[in-house]
Amino acid sequence: MLASRHGAPIDAPPPVRSHPSRQRRNCGRSGGAPVSRPKPHYSAWSLLRARFAREGYWRPLWTGRALRDAYDVVVVGAGGHGLATAFHLARDHGIRRVAVLEKRLVGYGNVGRNTTIVRSNYLLPENHHFYEDSLRRWETLSRELNYNVMYSPRGVVDLALSDDDLSGMARRGNAMRLAGIDAELLDLGALERLCPELEPRRERRFPIVGALVQRRGGTVRHDAVAWGYARAATALGVDVIEDCEVTGVRTAAGVASGVETSRGYVKAERIVFATAGHTGMIGTMLGVPLPIETHLLQAMASEPIKPLLHTVLVYVFPGHGETYICQSDRGGLVMGGHLDGFPSYTREGRWDRLEEVVEGAVSLLPQIAGVKILRQWAGTNDMTMDGSPIIDRLRYDNVFVNAGWCYGGFKAIPASGAACARFVATGAAPDLIRGYRLSRFATGHLLDERGGGPFPVRL
Amino acid sequence: MTRLVCPFCGPRHLREFEFHKTVAAPGAGAFARVYERIDSTELSVEHWQHVGGCRGWLEVRRNPSTGAVLGIELLGGGGEQ
Repeated sequence: MLASRHGAPIDAPPPVRSHPSRQRRNCGRSGGAPVSRPKPHYSAWSLLRARFAREGYWRPLWTGRALRDAYDVVVVGAGGHGLATAFHLARDHGIRRVAVLEKRLVGYGNVGRNTTIVRSNYLLPENHHFYEDSLRRWETLSRELNYNVMYSPRGVVDLALSDDDLSGMARRGNAMRLAGIDAELLDLGALERLCPELEPRRERRFPIVGALVQRRGGTVRHDAVAWGYARAATALGVDVIEDCEVTGVRTAAGVASGVETSRGYVKAERIVFATAGHTGMIGTMLGVPLPIETHLLQAMASEPIKPLLHTVLVYVFPGHGETYICQSDRGGLVMGGHLDGFPSYTREGRWDRLEEVVEGAVSLLPQIAGVKILRQWAGTNDMTMDGSPIIDRLRYDNVFVNAGWCYGGFKAIPASGAACARFVATGAAPDLIRGYRLSRFATGHLLDERGGGPFPVRL
Repeated sequence: MTRLVCPFCGPRHLREFEFHKTVAAPGAGAFARVYERIDSTELSVEHWQHVGGCRGWLEVRRNPSTGAVLGIELLGGGGEQ
């Protein structure tokens, strides 16, 4: 699931030799970055050229940049949100002196650990407008980045097991439709046509009574998102620096002046923290207690099997269990469920949760009972006290935080990157993220999608 | 971490326990107690309830980076809430 350190994945278009006219000028104070830039454009023609080229044709997409002494913007964390923010800063706002500092590797965190689902089926206006903006961007992202992120609008199906479930879904679907977002409430006949493999009318312990489907929802290949943004940002002159941990923020006259890193001090006009899953530690570093707890969410993938499942199924079953399941393009069944339920940085995942998710999957699709789980992993999540994200200034006027994505960060990446970049570049938060202010907890304007009160976990 | 040791019931499976919240610093105001959390990679002080056993409220001290349980005590003599 991890991003490769060098170069492209097998199924991505090959990087080819740098185009001389697009080579970045050597502007580094510390000697710049003497690497050739990747070819600016991938196409059928570039694929064909790569096929007949000699060895050595493949080039790294983003590695080998030297860390400079000063930047206009330093983004901390080379995950989806950090890379997307850097990309939009460079492309939309012309800020080219941008560095993305990453403690480990590009895509090592949650952008490489999620279950790849994208959707915008939220109840609250602040959330569904934001996630709809994101979903629209997913639709065209491959073209924007010139990198195939394999957006697959296969439909996200929330299954209802009771009339109560169905009324709740009707309410959410109506809220979405009022906002111009596609949502359809399905009866059993329509569900059977959409997911014949599910056999909705089959006798079960918890019979299915209907479903809410968002047909434009689906999956995106998560690693390609990290690689695509890293490549596109690098091509615009952004320095993506791996293996560079930020350990502190230096301040002068009440504003931040730069970051202390494992590779020395870096001056920065503005700093953006996009450290999903570790934002609580950033709060501790800056001396600001945040409304965030760090919890684990685990996921698992089975051995590849022939095409079986053509949608994303979300199944919340009595006894507080949950399973969401889809089939990757390689054939593996990708599954996840509830949070582990207590703060943790171990990235291990508790076994009884795995058991619960698999139980749910097998009760939903009994035909997969013999399929083996190939691997299981966990990621750390910033769980906020209302379940919605935070994009705001943090303590200093020129320090920004893009955090608190709970378990929904992946699908938010394109909108979050664009909005956060605009916020950082102009100093004014776009309307789209007005609701995601940190001060909402103090003013009582919570975005509590679940209606569960100030607890990240409620089983 | 697959077990917790309840002061009343002894070692029991994790699924018998329900995590409630991490505990605010002593002397924190009302807002901080409800919304703000202290994030530490070494020590997490939490309230749990043994819902599948004695239903006692517990203060659990754990290391969230390793999963090690550093101590479990009964909260306020039990029976809270």
